[in-house]
Amino acid sequence: MTQATPDLRALLARRRPGYTLEAPFHTDAGIFQRDLDIIFGRHWIHVGVEPDIAEPGDCMTVDIGPHAIIVARDDDMNVQAFHNVCRHRGARLLYEPKTNVGNLVCPYHQWTYGLDGSLLFAAHMPDDFDPGCHGLRRVHVRSLAGLLFVCLAATPPDDFDTMAAALTPYIAPHDIRRCKVAHSEDIIEPGNWKLTMENNRECYHCNGAHPELTRSIFAEGFGFAPVGAEAEAQAERFHTLVGTLHHDWEQGGLPSREIDELVGRPTGFRTERLPLEDAGESETLDTRVACRKLLGGLAEKRLGALSVWTQPNSWHHFMSDHIVSFAVFPLTPETALLRTKWLVHQDAVEGRDYDLANLTAVWHATNRQDSALVGKAGAGVRSTGYQQGPYSPDTEGLVEKFCAWYVERMVAGLDS
Amino acid sequence: MTDEVTQFTVEFTVSGRTIACDADQFVLTAALAAGLKLPFVCRRGICGTCKSKLVSGKYDMKQNGGIRPREIEGGMFLPCCSKPLSDLVIEK
Repeated sequence: MTQATPDLRALLARRRPGYTLEAPFHTDAGIFQRDLDIIFGRHWIHVGVEPDIAEPGDCMTVDIGPHAIIVARDDDMNVQAFHNVCRHRGARLLYEPKTNVGNLVCPYHQWTYGLDGSLLFAAHMPDDFDPGCHGLRRVHVRSLAGLLFVCLAATPPDDFDTMAAALTPYIAPHDIRRCKVAHSEDIIEPGNWKLTMENNRECYHCNGAHPELTRSIFAEGFGFAPVGAEAEAQAERFHTLVGTLHHDWEQGGLPSREIDELVGRPTGFRTERLPLEDAGESETLDTRVACRKLLGGLAEKRLGALSVWTQPNSWHHFMSDHIVSFAVFPLTPETALLRTKWLVHQDAVEGRDYDLANLTAVWHATNRQDSALVGKAGAGVRSTGYQQGPYSPDTEGLVEKFCAWYVERMVAGLDS
Repeated sequence: MTDEVTQFTVEFTVSGRTIACDADQFVLTAALAAGLKLPFVCRRGICGTCKSKLVSGKYDMKQNGGIRPREIEGGMFLPCCSKPLSDLVIEK
């Protein structure tokens, strides 16, 4: 049985604020294609970190829906991005997730491109063939203090710089460029990419689902509002900590206060430096640093976790000793890839400065719990009994902001 | 009048052939002249198609991005743009 694609414009127009999206947004192939076109084809998409391509010739392949991309480090240490498609017969150039190359050589007929995308060599082409017209198609790429973003549109949203100006002072002390990727894992989540994002944007579910994560984080830092005397006491403790630590951290040169620009702009974002429980050092099982060598020039372990979110597809936690960075890529209407990277100082040595199992324990477990929850949400949404449910105004305001951003960007995309 | 040109031997371990290569001749050119079938495309050190493992010997390579420094450290070289500085043994 096939169903006609519903009228997207009408679904967007009748979206009820404060309620979950209607089922077709999470199941319909036609709407999924519009997501790929409008959201992932015309916005700044987080694809990785500079340490993914640390050295000249390093290349990383990323697939954003139908867009196959190479992100490369050229010989002048600039970051470049191209479509991963040969200009000759269209063959895919690179398949390896990470590789190091001299030039980019098409495996089909050896058309050879420099790391600036220019066509250097193509055998058997006539005298009037112009290599200058056959360079790799460029993709806009920007680094925000080491976080890499690409935009596939001819003219990207013009508000990247304002996001970078706001977030760079928060992120820079963690010095992503002098990190290495200690571990990376891909999970295919059994739900539409928006379900993965919505799940990330609230901590209503944390107490029930995440025993490892809640050893260190306060749900209150992610929009959770307490109910009942015990929860209120906990929230009071959190807010007292925020007041004290924000003051201390900012005195020490670490911007900490919340900036929430999630809606009302193409390149939505949010940040806040959040206290952690107990030792307060890191998102680990014992709340202490997992890596002895701290990031950048940091000397203090107890810096909580800097939370950074970008619309539509990323979130990041920056601690004094490591960074956990998450990117979501749509695969099919009902599956999404969650790519997680754990970063430590580039000079940290596994086994001496950090134990990989300890470093990754919390988010390795949390990712699996979240994936299972996304699967349950996906299974319910595709069932005939699904109808829109209300977000908690207290604890799911940031989910609402994700949906509101999505709807406003889709409406703007359909109108342009 | 004949110029004295230094000549080296180049042994290919897989094909079992040993050829002569002048000091001012590219290794690939000498191999092709001797009838060996080796993969190559650009002959200018750009595309890397002829990349080969050097078992022993010294060479002078003028490449153009077809091979990375770390590959060279790993014992690889490009016969298309390399001239011998000694006898060579190549895993090919």
